[in-house]
Order: sequence, then structure tokens, then C-alpha cells
Amino acid sequence: MIANQFNGHKHEGTLRSVLVMAVLMLIIGFMAFGSTIGHKRKVMQGKPIAAKDSVASVKAFEKVYAVLMSPRCMNCHPAGDVPLQGDDSHLHAMLPKRGTDGKGVYAMKCMNCHQPTNTPGLHTPPGNPNWHLPPADMKMVFEGRSPYELAKQLVDPKQNGHKDIKKLKEHADDDLVLAGWNMGEARTLPPMSHAEFKKAWITWLNTGAFAPKEQ
Amino acid sequence: MENLKTNSSRRTFLKTSLLAGGGLMIHFSGLAKLVLPHTEGGQAAEQWTEINGYVKISPKNVITILCPNPEFGQNVMTSLPMIVAEELDVDWKKVVVEMGPHDNVKLGPQFTGGSNSMRMYWKPLREAGATARHMLKLAAAETWSVPVDEITTRQGMLYHDKTSKKATYGDVAAKAAGMPVPKGIKLKDVKDFNVVRKSQKNVEGAKLVSGKPLFGLDYQHEGMLIAMIHHPPAFGMTHKSFDATATRKMPGIKDVFTIKVYEDGFAQGGFDVRTFNDLIVVVGKTTWEVMNARKKLVVEWMPIGDVKNTMAGRDGKREVVVPGALESTTTQLLKMREYEKMPAQQLRKDGDPETAFKNAAQIIERSYDAPFLAHNCMEPMNFFAHVTDDKALLVGPVQAPGWTEPTLAKVLNLPPDKIEIQMTRMGGGFGRRAYGHYLVEAALISRKAKAPVKLIYSREDDTTYGIYRPMYTATYRAALDADKNLIAFHVKGGGIPEHAIHANRFPAGAVDHYLAEGWEIPSNITIGAFRAPRSNFNAAAEQCFLDELAEAMGKDPIALRLELLKRAKENPVGKNNEYDADRYAGVLELVREKSGWNSAVPKPFKRGVAAYFCHNSYAAHVVDLVLKDGQPYVERVFSAVDCGIVINPDAAINMVQGAVVDGIGNSLYGGLTHKDGVVQEQNFHSYRLIRMHEAPKSIDVSFVQNDIDPTGLGEPPFPPVFGAVANALYKATGKRHYQQPFTLSNSRI
Amino acid sequence: MITLNINQKTYKLDLDPNTPLLWVLRDHVGLVGTKYGCGVAQCGACVVHLDGEAVRSCVTKASRAVGKKVVTIEGLSENNSHPLQKTWLELDVSQCGYCQAGQIMSAAVLLRENKNPTDQDINDAMAGNICRCGTYLRIKEAIKFAAAAGSGEKV
Repeated sequence: MIANQFNGHKHEGTLRSVLVMAVLMLIIGFMAFGSTIGHKRKVMQGKPIAAKDSVASVKAFEKVYAVLMSPRCMNCHPAGDVPLQGDDSHLHAMLPKRGTDGKGVYAMKCMNCHQPTNTPGLHTPPGNPNWHLPPADMKMVFEGRSPYELAKQLVDPKQNGHKDIKKLKEHADDDLVLAGWNMGEARTLPPMSHAEFKKAWITWLNTGAFAPKEQ
Repeated sequence: MENLKTNSSRRTFLKTSLLAGGGLMIHFSGLAKLVLPHTEGGQAAEQWTEINGYVKISPKNVITILCPNPEFGQNVMTSLPMIVAEELDVDWKKVVVEMGPHDNVKLGPQFTGGSNSMRMYWKPLREAGATARHMLKLAAAETWSVPVDEITTRQGMLYHDKTSKKATYGDVAAKAAGMPVPKGIKLKDVKDFNVVRKSQKNVEGAKLVSGKPLFGLDYQHEGMLIAMIHHPPAFGMTHKSFDATATRKMPGIKDVFTIKVYEDGFAQGGFDVRTFNDLIVVVGKTTWEVMNARKKLVVEWMPIGDVKNTMAGRDGKREVVVPGALESTTTQLLKMREYEKMPAQQLRKDGDPETAFKNAAQIIERSYDAPFLAHNCMEPMNFFAHVTDDKALLVGPVQAPGWTEPTLAKVLNLPPDKIEIQMTRMGGGFGRRAYGHYLVEAALISRKAKAPVKLIYSREDDTTYGIYRPMYTATYRAALDADKNLIAFHVKGGGIPEHAIHANRFPAGAVDHYLAEGWEIPSNITIGAFRAPRSNFNAAAEQCFLDELAEAMGKDPIALRLELLKRAKENPVGKNNEYDADRYAGVLELVREKSGWNSAVPKPFKRGVAAYFCHNSYAAHVVDLVLKDGQPYVERVFSAVDCGIVINPDAAINMVQGAVVDGIGNSLYGGLTHKDGVVQEQNFHSYRLIRMHEAPKSIDVSFVQNDIDPTGLGEPPFPPVFGAVANALYKATGKRHYQQPFTLSNSRI
Repeated sequence: MITLNINQKTYKLDLDPNTPLLWVLRDHVGLVGTKYGCGVAQCGACVVHLDGEAVRSCVTKASRAVGKKVVTIEGLSENNSHPLQKTWLELDVSQCGYCQAGQIMSAAVLLRENKNPTDQDINDAMAGNICRCGTYLRIKEAIKFAAAAGSGEKV
């Protein structure tokens, strides 16, 4: 008989806790972005990217992963069609649905509550002029993804919103990505600053966007 | 046929009656002519003839029936006037219903709560209608010079068939007002009803769906200011000092000051509960401005320590010490675990339970816990007050104006007849608005601000400054003999700050050896009535225990209950058993039939049953539950209710369905916790209320058909939902649930 | 000073543009059909239409409504002629009634976008509106009846 039997709304995390990244030194067998997606390889080869460095890349991705899997990012990249909420990433109260365009359905569209800016006060909806989930045909799920899976997914144009490396880099400064660091009163921030995240993100992409070994 | 006894003098119509269960007196108003503004249905203000306290008939035959009791969704504003209309014999569709003013002398107790409205008013309202109708007949008889017993009425018209004369009620209303009040008027036979027992629509339905101002928060008044209270953040705290400099500078702010709700030594009545006594108040022009400015207050809070309250009682004043500790849910639970081991107050004892337990072949013992619950009325607490030196006007949502008026008179030092309380529609009540501290607060604020003021609680204020359902626990023990017969039953219940035990309720009376005990832990968490007080916990705990007992005895849970009820009827144990065993059995039998209990449970449902008696009515539910994504979902419910005559069947079904939804929500999700005195669930983001997708797809409601005078309906269907849900949950998961809420995991869905 | 179009009327209002639309409607314009329930977009009692979308007016700043059309329950129809208002009365949905304006405003958007909603569609649309009295079954039925009556067009 403990207190939280009365109030417990906490999500019993399943895959979320799989944050431990035993990044091994062994990189043989790691598959880099360019080598897996043949037809994109040519595009990539023309880019002025830094030398591939799987060790540095995987190390950088460690930080990227920690941010993307933090509630401020992952909550809007759910495995299902309902966004998540809170630091415990429970299902969003009142179960708003993704809808085809990711902007909600009927009377439950994201922007009906999420305003162009944060609403003052505790427990109020955070805001952004473009608040939405990934669309139904490009769900970009983070929830439950292993580091390997997420890394692969992030650089796969079929799963990342048709972004090439350049666009991916630019995406670090996307308004909605930045919103993760400006979520209103009393909300926990991602585990590092946006600048630090961006540095890791660019480093990861520039060094070959290597995925950590699947565990 | 029932006869009416009246006392009458020349221009007054006075009836006193002893009400069932309470010794309350009903007084009818005088036969006065009134001028009232009336704009309903395009009618201009006109001279009204008030036949009695409940009915007005205009010369144009507009029948206006006053609803005496405040409306919080239980539909009294429709069903009480229906009773009058029935006996008066008018066309219900042409009746205009008005909310009566608060006037306990003319209109009776005017208390909405305890599922009492129908029970209290059933006879007086019928008598009022019947008397009025008879006086109209007398007036017509005199006008037409025909014998009164040759006059008939139909839908607001008077007829004399022999002479083919006819008249509207309005035609003779003025004359009727001058008639002596008759004695011995016969009431209608129940079988002749044509308004009551027919479904009639909510008289305010059209206003509700078009957003007309009906509620307390909607009330406007010339020059009205808005006030909000900045109450302490934790139970057991008060303000030490505060700096309102920044607040005062905010736009729209008129004043910041403190009020003291009760002066030292004020003798509190039972419904004078207030959570905090010394309050910081911000007054300004608009709600948003006040909300914003309030945030700028810089307050130093401090523990208040033990507080002595003076309570008014039948035997004079007594002092009660409210402990000052800053409570947490974990410590509250640990304390309950200590207290439950200690000797408790004996509430009832039959036979020799000690020996029976000593000789038992098997003892089953289970303990149940339930948390504090907040009422969460959708309309937060609020009230308008305009207090001047010599009078006070108060307008807003209140369940029991008659209980707060004497308090206001004392606090404001005004005679009661200088205090006018107008009742608006309430956005929910559930017992919360029986505690009129917010009227007193509004009045004190208005007096200090020297202005008409509307006091508004924010949602967070409403949730954290509550008069909650207490935290309860109970341990049930049953002794079985070697043949698995139930030989003794023991319940020991406790709570913070009161226990919930109804010692004389089922299964008391059905078991030879019976013991009920209770204990209480004082606390500074303020508590009060919450839809079916105490019953809402007992029906969960006891009905779960009976389910487990039936299983241990190898019996069907309904069959076991019926067996015990048969015993209670044929050879009752002890005295003062509150329930009628036949009516209790009746709802169980009805729900068994309607749910097809004796056939196989249709897939994929898992099924639970519970029944309970409270507020003079009986209710039973069969709940069909499934696990959806691992979470309990009650998909179907069958409900059987015996509340005597059902006045407005469709509205009654709505009420039962609502009680079922409320019960499912509170049993699965409801709960309020504390940490160092601070309420942890401050708004609906963490205080989870049931939503549409969590409500059942169907709730099949059946009423036992009888001609018994109506009893309660607002509360009785609510408590047994908890037990039925828990029992179905056991079938679905194989695990018994002893702690509310019954949410399976901590997941939010 | 801001200018708002509410129920097809123009209002010039001298107020802080950060004021939530809810309080603009209730305290400044005098339209009190839109209700305060939670103030944090949890309960739906304050739903109004902003260019046809069911925004929670308690968190929608007045400034967001500038240049847009606001429709409140008072402006949904004349004489309760909206199909939902009709079925709400037909089925006598309300108990205390406090939440019902918000329920109707949410349902109106659903029916405009989906003329024949399934139970799931209704749940998806209405999960943001709390009814403490528990009238959900009737709300759902009223929406279905209104859909069956061929609603939508006038929403």
C-alpha cells in the first residue's frame, strides 16, 4: 500500500528505458548510411562531407539518441497514433489522434489547444505555430527504437520525410525541433543544450552517419 | 386515496406536515396577489394570483410553477413541478417553471442533497396541486352556480357538462384566491397519473444548448468586481506575511486585503466547514486580470499548528482540536495501519461474534482502502455577493441555502430577513455545494471591498481547497463453519477523519453473530458529503468482500445475497435493520433477469455484480468488462433500481446512466493524494476524470415497478458501481483489487 | 484595442491582446455560454469555433482571433436549429448542462468533417470534452442522430 497506488498515472516504460548504449569499439559490421542505400549513395558522394569516422560518428550519435529519445522529442514521435505526454511519456490525456496530416482530427486538432506560443502557467499546452505529429504516411517513430534502428531510420529518406543529408543538417534548426528546448513552465529540457545537440547531430552526419551496432 | 389535512385562515393557507424521516415542517405561502415581471413566452408582466407557494396562475391562464429546490443536474426543476402539474391537472407543455427564491418559510427546506428532493416534496407538492385545483373548482362552481362535484377539470380547463360551461383556470384564478382553503382534498390515484410517470423534457434544455446565462459564474450585476482568494498551498499552513506591491500595480486591480472567515469562538454548524480561515483576497475588474495579478503576490507561509475550532452542537458548544501536521498520503496510510490494530468503538453487536470466530472452521479476512476524492464539479465554486450596511444579496450555485443563511446572518450581523439568497443553476454539486463557506467568503469580500463582488475559484483552487470524500479503510472478516455456512460477520472500519461504517445495513440482520466497529483519525484535511457519503466506500468494500465470500462458500454471488436477504426477512437478527429485504432482493432479481446472469457470460466479457441500499432506494448493477490494451474497460452495464414511483422515467434513466459512468470513473481513476499537506492532483491533467471513450457502450436501466412513494435516485445507483467493477475486474484478471482506484497499471489510458 | 468578429458581429475591445478568448467572451463581450472548466485545455467546456476549428478558448489568446471568425454556442444557430441542438433536446442529453455547450461545439466540427461518423470517430472527436455528470452515452447518440438527420451542411 503505497501512495502512488492512488494517483499513479505513470507509464510503465518498456522500450524507453533501453537507453543504455553500449557502444562498442568494434565497428566492423556497422553499416554506414552511404553503403546501405545504394541509389542515394551517388547523391551523397557529391557532398563535401568530412571523412567517414565510424568511431566519432557512433559517439556523436550517442548524444543525438539521448536527445531524440528524451520526452521533449519522443513524445511527438510515438509508436502509436496518439502522442505522449510528460516526463514519463504516458499516452496524451484525451487521446488525440494523429490524423492523416499529423495535425489531429475533428475537434481534436493539435492547434485547438497548442497555441502558436507557450501558454503561461503550469500544465498548460506548450505552443508552436506548426505543432503537429509526423503524418500518417511518414510516422518517423522514435518511441521504442533502438539506437541502431533510429540511426538507420533517420537517414532513410523513405522514413525521414525525404530528407537528404543537407536537409537533415538543416533540420537541426527546424522550428519544431527548437521547440523541444522551449516547452513552457516546469517542463524538463532535453539532456543537453540545443547547441550541443546540433554539434553532435552535424558531427554524426558529417562523419558518415554510422549506426551503433544492433544489440 | 389520500386525504389532505389543512389549517386555514382567511387569507392564508398553512399546512404543516411531518415529513418521513426528519420531522421537517412544510409551510405553504399565503394567498397573496403578487406582481412579478414575467417575460417567458412573450408574456408581458401582469398581475399574478398566487394560489399557494408553488403555483401561480395568471388571468391569461399561464401556469407558472415554482421549483423550490436548487438544480444541479438531478432534474428537480422539471420533476418537482411535474408533481404539482399532475394534481393541478394542467397541460404540462404549457407550464412555465421558475426557480423559486430562497425562502425556507414559504418553500420548505430547499435542500438539494441526500437524494431527498422527491421524498420530501412528494406529498406537499401533490397536496398543493390538488388543493389549488379544488379551489379553482369551487370558484367555478360559485361563478356558474352549480354544485362543485359536477365540475371536472382537464388540462387547465374547468368544465360543467350539464350546462356546457367551460372556463380556463385563469378565468377564475382571482376568485379562487379569495376562497377559504378546503379540507380533506383527495389526491389522484396513482393509476390516473398522466404527467408523472411519463417522460417529460428538461425545462431548461433549450436554454442549455443555446448558452443562455443560467449558472452562478454567468451572473452579472451592475458594477460587479471579480475576487479571487489566494489560499495556503498546503493543509496545515497559513500566511505569515505577504507583499502585494506588484499585485496592486497590475492592470484592473482594485484592492488586496485579508479576510477572516470565522472570528475566534464562532460556533460552527455541521455544514460550516471551511478549509482555511485567514485568506488573502485580490479584487479587480475582470477575471483574467485578477488571475494574473494574484500570481504576483509574494507570500510567506507558515505552519499554523493545532487549531481549536468551536463547534455548535445540540448540547451546546464544544471545542475540537484540528491537528496541524502537514500530511502525506504515505503517512496517512501508515497511520491507518496503526489505528486498525487498536480497539475501536463498537457500533453494533448481535449474538456472540467472538466465540463464533473462535469456533470457525474457516475465517476470511480482507482489507480495503480508498482515497480522498474531490468533487470536481464542472463549474468551480463561485458566488456573487453584494453586502451593504443593512442588507445582503447573494446569488449563485448552492445546494443548501437554508443552512448557510443563519451562518451569514451571524457573520454579517444582519437579521436573516435582510439576507436574500438567489439560487442559480449549478454546474454540478455532488455534495460539494452543501458547504456554504464560499458564500460567507464572498459576502465578507463584498463588505470589505464595499462593492458587488463575484468570488471565483480557479479549477486549481476548487481542487485544492476542497471538502473531500474522506480517506477510508475497512477490514471485513467472515467466519464459516465446517459446512461453509456463514456463522459470523465482522467489519471494522476507519478513516481520515471519519469511518464509513453503516452498522445497521446489510448484511447486518442476516447473520447470527455480527460485529461492527469504527475508528477515526483526526486530520486537517477538510471532508464532507460526496455523492452517497460513506455508502460510496461501503458498497465497494462490502460488495467485493461478499463476492469473495460467495466464492469461498462455493455459491453464486447473487444467490448468496438472496439467501442472506431471505434470512433477514424471515428471521431478522437484531434491531434497527435499515433496509427492506424484499426490495433489496427485488433489484438483485431484476438485474439477474435483465443481464441474463444465469446464462453463460457472452464473450469476451467478464462479469461482476454488486447491489446496495442507501438513501431509501435500492440499486444493483451487473458490469461486463473487457481488457483493452491491458486496461479495464466496462463495455456494458445492466442496472436495476427500486426508488418507488419513477417520476420522470427518461430523466431517471439518464440519472442512473450518469451515476454508472461516474462510478466507473471514480473506481478506476479517482483519487486525491497529499504530500506535506499539498494536494498533488491540482487540475484535470493529473486528476483523471472519465472521458467518452472510457464510458460504456450501453447501460441498460430497469426500474422495479411499484406504487411506493418516491425515494432517492441521485445517489443510490452510484455506490454499487464500485463493487461491480471490482468484481468484474477480478474475473478479468484473476486478481482481487483491494485498493481504489482500481487502475491496473500506472498507465494513463 | 483589438477588433474581433464574434458570431458575425464586430467588436472593438480595449483589452490586453494576451487575454484568453474565453475571458474576452465572458467578461468583455458578455457571451457566457462558453464555460470556464479548467483553464488548461483539459475539459473542453470552453470550446468555440475559430475559423471553424474547435479551439479551447481558455488557452487561445484574443490576439490569435484577430482577423478570424469566432463562433460561440450563442452563434451556432438561430433558435436552436442546428441539427445537434435539435437532437440534444430530442434526447434530453443534459444533466447539469455546464459542459454541453462545449460538447456541441466539438461535435459540430466532427459532423462538418465527417457526415457519417462511427463510434470510434465520435470517441476520437469528443475525448477532449469532459462531462462530469456522465451523459456520454446520450451525447454519442445525439451526434449519431444528428448525422442521420443529415447534418453538417450548416455547420
